[in-house]
Amino acid sequence: MSSHFESIEQVVDELAQGYYVADRALATVLFLSHKLEKPIFLEGEPGVGKTEVAIVMAKLFKTDLIRLQCYEGLDSSTALYEWNYPKQLLHIRLQERGDKKSDEIEEMIYRPEFLVERPLLEAIRKSDDKPPILLIDEIDRSDEEFEAFLLEVLSDFQITIPEIGTLKAEKKPMVVVTSNRTRDVHDALKRRCLYHWIDYPSFEKEHEIIMARLPGIESQFARQITHFMQKIRSFDFLKKPGVSETLDWARALMAMERKYLDEKVIIETLGCFLKYQEDIARFNQEIWSDTESREAYLHRPGEA
Amino acid sequence: MEHEQNGLTRKMIAFAAFLRDRGFRVFQSGVYDALRAVQTIGLEDRSDFFFCLRSILTTTDLEWAQFQSLFDEFWVTVDEEFEGGEDAPKKSDPNGRNNGEGKGRQLAAECEPVKGDMLSRDKEWLEGIAYSPIVSMVEKKDLSRFNQADVQVASLALKRMVAPFQVDRSRRLKRTKKSGGMDFQRIIKKSLKTGGIPLALFFKRKKLRLKRLVILADVSGSMDRYAQFVMPFLLGLRGIGSRAEVFVFSTTLTSITFSIRHMSFEKVLSHMAEEVPDWSGGTRIGFSLHQFNEKHGQRLLSQRTVVVVLSDGWDLGAKDLLRREMAQINRKCHTVIWLNPLAGDPDYEPLCRGMNTALPYVDHFMAADSLQSLKRVGRLLSRVMVH
Repeated sequence: MSSHFESIEQVVDELAQGYYVADRALATVLFLSHKLEKPIFLEGEPGVGKTEVAIVMAKLFKTDLIRLQCYEGLDSSTALYEWNYPKQLLHIRLQERGDKKSDEIEEMIYRPEFLVERPLLEAIRKSDDKPPILLIDEIDRSDEEFEAFLLEVLSDFQITIPEIGTLKAEKKPMVVVTSNRTRDVHDALKRRCLYHWIDYPSFEKEHEIIMARLPGIESQFARQITHFMQKIRSFDFLKKPGVSETLDWARALMAMERKYLDEKVIIETLGCFLKYQEDIARFNQEIWSDTESREAYLHRPGEA
Repeated sequence: MEHEQNGLTRKMIAFAAFLRDRGFRVFQSGVYDALRAVQTIGLEDRSDFFFCLRSILTTTDLEWAQFQSLFDEFWVTVDEEFEGGEDAPKKSDPNGRNNGEGKGRQLAAECEPVKGDMLSRDKEWLEGIAYSPIVSMVEKKDLSRFNQADVQVASLALKRMVAPFQVDRSRRLKRTKKSGGMDFQRIIKKSLKTGGIPLALFFKRKKLRLKRLVILADVSGSMDRYAQFVMPFLLGLRGIGSRAEVFVFSTTLTSITFSIRHMSFEKVLSHMAEEVPDWSGGTRIGFSLHQFNEKHGQRLLSQRTVVVVLSDGWDLGAKDLLRREMAQINRKCHTVIWLNPLAGDPDYEPLCRGMNTALPYVDHFMAADSLQSLKRVGRLLSRVMVH
């Protein structure tokens, strides 16, 4: 594995080695992002593998993954930097015995050693040496103020700390921004990014993902699970299960040492893929009460 | 740029204009980025070309879904034209330019009412004060006899009604005097003047901010009697500067937020008449709410949202659907208020099917048939909502 992408084929191959099954569209976007040094903006339903992209990229580039989980009220002191106040206070106390002037003390306590690095500053500092992957997760949870602030950082990877000066990254880190679409993100941010929508995978792709992620599983069993999940997604649930639910479920089934799906085991493990009480109730009422639809969902191996 | 000779730049500009015409948000830098990306990737593979344009020229899932067919439509015809002769790129270029100019003009036209709105907002404040002696007179009228001139009065009443919901505590901090948590950054900085002894203390606490209001108004046939109330109610929202999202529904749901916020008074009325397909039609509350949840729920419903449904509850649609959608709204938002014009009658009982179904999921059920009752609503809310 190298730290440089030369072609789109290489991206697809290397992602596969990192156990991430990507289609060519995603690979193209990753390739472009790498070449053009633009952030990637990933959207999609929960659990389709948005965050995973960044994790795999960090693995491929053998570099650090710096993750900034967004939430409402996130501000520069938690995202960028903060002064280490206790350390500063202690230092001031120690200096009191000497006859230092106040501006000398000031100069002393506003040095980089007194900074507490937060993810964005960390990403910029580390970029000089080996650019990390910066994952800004669930940007839609942060508020508009933070988004505006992020614009400044993302456009030229430089930040200004009034007491120290401007820090600029020599090389740009690769940035992955994810969103669950709980609100619209501002155009100015989107304009700076490459957009990619990750959809629920097709049958073949989902099967491939299970096979890649769970090496011990039998192909036939994986097909049955995939068939069930694909079918359940066509039903109008409050929260449709994503790929991560599929993998959780398959892992649970493997732990229970099952080799095929039957009616009993599905009821037992329902909580792995349906996460709302209402959904479970509807599943029991509208799908599982009818023998024919039960059969259609189970799709036993050997049948057409 | 090296692709200049085969007219790619021109085509790309035309393609951007083509997309913009179909409602895409294509940014100024989009064309440049696209060309840069194409240079990186090369033109050998059509699907790579497609992927690369898609990632740069789309910004939402909706655009993402439409892109394939638009891409095919544009590049197939352009390729054919291009093979047809030398003048092909030129042909598409003037097109693109015209579109661009058209868009610019349109934008300018859209901007002006916005400005006007801003100005009139201040004016409305003043007018509101001037109005106050009249308010009491107008209040006594039955709302079904209201006309457009009463919008400003309704606006005032609404302002009062919405007031208790407006303030919400954000998690963002701001500087304050002697309350909240300590602001160490400032304390240390200021303490340096006194040789490191923090003599003055500074504080910060959570900032207050507006709550979001979502209004779902029934404009079906049965509400016609109150249309003269509904209209001032909806239009009155213009003045209060809130982040209100407004929808009207009868059998289907239509958003009128944009018209209400940005258009002039006359334009809103004509626009609504055109855009809302079934004004005074039948009622499918459940289905309309379903549409709301489906399309806008993710974006608009949160614990900071107050949902106001304005309807008489006569529903011809499925009962289960209504129950499910109401339950979902109730679970996701902060408060649900149902304003029912019929409830003004002291003998009113929520007997009709729709109202009966929805009631368990409504936090506050109130009458709204006149401005006076709106005032009552406001008073009650401010009592309930004190925290």
